[in-house]
Amino acid sequence: MNHDLERRLRAALRPVDPGDDFSAKVLARTAKEPAHFARPPRSPAVAGWLAFGLATCVVLGLLLAHQWQVRRTQQGLEARRQLIEALRVTDQKLDLANRVVNEKERAPPDSGA
Amino acid sequence: MSGDEECTGGELLTQALAGERAAFGALVCRHQRAVYSLALRMLSDRHAAEDLAQEVFLQLYRSLASVASEAHLSFWLRKVTMHRAIDRLRREPRHTGVGLEEAAALAGEAAEGDPILERRLRSLLAELPSAARAVVLLRYQEDLDPVEIARTLKMPVNTVKSHLRRSLAMLRERIADAAAADAGVATRVALPGEDRSPP
Repeated sequence: MNHDLERRLRAALRPVDPGDDFSAKVLARTAKEPAHFARPPRSPAVAGWLAFGLATCVVLGLLLAHQWQVRRTQQGLEARRQLIEALRVTDQKLDLANRVVNEKERAPPDSGA
Repeated sequence: MSGDEECTGGELLTQALAGERAAFGALVCRHQRAVYSLALRMLSDRHAAEDLAQEVFLQLYRSLASVASEAHLSFWLRKVTMHRAIDRLRREPRHTGVGLEEAAALAGEAAEGDPILERRLRSLLAELPSAARAVVLLRYQEDLDPVEIARTLKMPVNTVKSHLRRSLAMLRERIADAAAADAGVATRVALPGEDRSPP
């Protein structure tokens, strides 16, 4: 029963022709339209080159970003080294000054008179 | 269109994309039957169906660059036709049933089968809600499976199956009712004859 109904539906829904002049009417309507679709389709070779170019751009971008990151890290390390050196020199000078002050305090008060 | 037989759909599409109007015309010839038939069964009006089918091909002409292949073209045409038809039915709901013009147009086609039953089926189909009608048409006119119908109409597969089940049940019931009514009329027509016959 079900298959019979489906078969009859298929028969009842056979496609119908719109008439001989249908495509002519459509083309007449399209003639009023600007041919804005007239873009030649990309050939596979062009598509391949486009993909290659895009991939190259991505790789170059990643390399540049990596180099920038390395340079920034090196600059940071150099700044850190210079800061440590400056602190070390400052420490030495302060130590020296401290020693001079201590020696002057320990000297007898009449020794210079 | 002679190019229709000579070229494949893909070649026609490529040529149409390159701006060849003849190739676009051949594409129209190749798909006009399917597009017009879907529009006609959805709208039940020949003039409205022809107008809608022309609009679909005009839209195709405008957005041909977005069509990737012949298979995509068929899918695109079905989708746009159905969505436009459903939109039009929402905007201007039509009478249900098959008009005289359509019946006359289809009379010549029913070379086999039962033309009265087929007309009755089409008439019952026109009484279905637009979404259910679209599902039945894509299933039995375009021979799509429920997954393809779901993709075309942008609805869940279960909804498609549910529409199909309910629509078939309704059609079966209405056909059975009509057959029973016809049998009743035949009996009533036959009875007076029996009364008049000699004992």
